Amino acid sequence: MTETNIIQLQGIEKRFGKFVAVSDLSLDLREGEFFSLLGPSGCGKTTALRMIAGFQEPTEGKVLIDGQDMEGMPANKRPTNMVFQSYAIFPHLNVGNNVAYGLRNRGISKSEIDTRVKEALEMVELGGLEARGANELSGGQRQRVALARALVMRPKVLLLDEPLSALDKKLREQMQFEMRHLQQSLGITFVMVTHDQYEAMTMSDRIGVMFDGRLVQVDTPQTLYAKPGSREVASFIGEMNFLPAEVTAETGDTFSISTPGFGAMKIEANPNVARHGRHISVGIRPEQLEIARHKPDGYDGTVQGVVRDVAFYGENVHYHVGVEGLDKPIAASVPNYFHTVDHAPGDKVWLGVQAASVIDLGEDKQTS
Amino acid sequence: MDDRPLSYPLEGTRAWGKSLAGLRSEKAKGLALSAPATVYVGFLVAAPLVILVAYSLWTQTYVSIDRTLTLANYREALTDPLVRHLMIRSILIAAAVTLATVALAYPIAYFIALKAQRKTLWLLLITIPFWSSYLLRVFAWKLILGFNGVMNSALLGVGLISDPLTFLLYNEFSVVLTLAHAWAPFAILPIYVSLQKIDPSLLEAANDLGSGKVQQFLRVTLPLTIPGIIAACLIIFIPTVGDYVTPSLVGGSDGKMIANLIQVQFGAANNWPLGATLSLLAMMSVGFVAILFVLSATGLGRRIR
Ligand SMILES: Nc1ncnc2c1ncn2[C@@H]1O[C@H](COP(=O)(O)OP(=O)(O)OP(=O)(O)O)[C@@H](O)[C@H]1O
Ligand SMILES: [Mg+2]
Repeated sequence: MTETNIIQLQGIEKRFGKFVAVSDLSLDLREGEFFSLLGPSGCGKTTALRMIAGFQEPTEGKVLIDGQDMEGMPANKRPTNMVFQSYAIFPHLNVGNNVAYGLRNRGISKSEIDTRVKEALEMVELGGLEARGANELSGGQRQRVALARALVMRPKVLLLDEPLSALDKKLREQMQFEMRHLQQSLGITFVMVTHDQYEAMTMSDRIGVMFDGRLVQVDTPQTLYAKPGSREVASFIGEMNFLPAEVTAETGDTFSISTPGFGAMKIEANPNVARHGRHISVGIRPEQLEIARHKPDGYDGTVQGVVRDVAFYGENVHYHVGVEGLDKPIAASVPNYFHTVDHAPGDKVWLGVQAASVIDLGEDKQTS
Repeated sequence: MDDRPLSYPLEGTRAWGKSLAGLRSEKAKGLALSAPATVYVGFLVAAPLVILVAYSLWTQTYVSIDRTLTLANYREALTDPLVRHLMIRSILIAAAVTLATVALAYPIAYFIALKAQRKTLWLLLITIPFWSSYLLRVFAWKLILGFNGVMNSALLGVGLISDPLTFLLYNEFSVVLTLAHAWAPFAILPIYVSLQKIDPSLLEAANDLGSGKVQQFLRVTLPLTIPGIIAACLIIFIPTVGDYVTPSLVGGSDGKMIANLIQVQFGAANNWPLGATLSLLAMMSVGFVAILFVLSATGLGRRIR
């Protein structure tokens, strides 16, 4: 596979007065990938995207698209197109003219415009809706028009700013799959901004996690989930139980730890965390824990506790289990196999975990 | 104890509220709620209009009014070349005033809505001319444009001209200039509102889809402000056709308009029936031109893609 970097961000920084919205962002995006910028509200995702689109110039650093420096290049000359969070459908134009808007800037013949608009609308399953007014569309249809309007331009990179956040849950999930399929069949690079971790994980090839204007980790969804680079990332993506641990022995890529409760275990070092001290923090995903009435066999670590809360989610059941020696209860999530909730608050239960599921999160900054 | 006198007014309101709530359709409710305004407008607009129509069908005979119904006034007005001339000139002057005002107002509104930092301050500044009376402003223009006025003195002083300019005052030009200045805020405000309502991401989307600044303006900003432009045009055009203060003060004989003729009929000429006829004809012409304008402007707006 030959991989070319369609977009290169080289140490870009954006300041608004004294406020630093994006700092020292370096990132290479591969041709044809679906990349998501994920982070909490206000972390600078939109600002980063707008610097690629050309609506904002970086204070420092360079944006390269297809190897070409974009400095001073206005948005209308860049080979990118954007799907806006508000969709920005032109209210004075009907669907067909909205989609044709960009093509008309290019001096393309009328007949070609018509066929391309038709194709684009069929692609987003809005075929035949050309004459519909912009104000006569549902939220989902507006989203599709915005998508068609950008894709009809055949951009090298499609930029999407929280494209699904205005839709309800069902429609959002459906659009996640549709957009993913569209991206794969067109082979266009998609860069999506979102604060929804599930959206980022289900759609993306790679995810960049941002906090406070900094890009803290870039990885595939699986790696981000299994080997987060920090406590911050670990708690932002999915749920995580954090435990303090002490390193007792270190041998190459594995080391022995002892944790309150689960006791001694031998775990794998996480290459994404920078440095290990003696006191580290480890993480366990709730779904990696076994919960049972009797001490379960075949687990590397087990601990006894008392059920505090039970939450029934339908597809699975969450238990919060208080364990002696830990200030926070441990969350365990069990698939709802037999439509039964096996434990009630106050029950004495055992928790079991495999060493492979215990994630090394590096130095514990909140050492007690 | 008898508490009936106390309960009377309450019962009355309750009954009124009940009958309002009890009105079946939205339409009936709407009618009930707009009734006071309808009565008010009826007295102040419809009644005078009826009187005007009645007068236009009567005739003046030296001292008294002949009340036999006739279309003679209309025949006279429609065949008199002076009337036609003044009517056309009034509409043309009003059109020129409208054009000049909107052309001046648009950039100002654009600046305030999209570029200025202190919008409220700017809007306040725009209304400053209103702080003095309209008549004073017209006289001020007279002082500026007159034979010995500010403009001529300045130009003479600088040495650009050797004799005072005479084309500045007492013609169509001075009427247009004075009215354009007087109407400016009325044009700025509706255009400002329509510009203010434009979602900035629409402009960015246009830019993103390949439009430069000019295309972005012509294909997105302008069509979205057409309602504001139409409102501004109507607000200015309609009263301008019937204006008579400005033409009589700064218009001279070249700047006279239809309203000046109407005023003469009700005053010096003492021919109320003809005055009423001219008023109605002026109203109809204005209405006709305004409708034509609204239709063509919206139609043009729709063609922008
Ligand atoms: N034009 C601007 N002037 C000043 N500050 C700005 C400007 N644009 C953004 N900011 C600030 O920069 C920070 C990042 O903004 P940005 O819009 O990139 O956030 P975001 O990550 O997209 O958040 P959200 O998920 O809420 O959309 C915010 O604190 C915001 O207040
Ligand atoms: Mg944002």
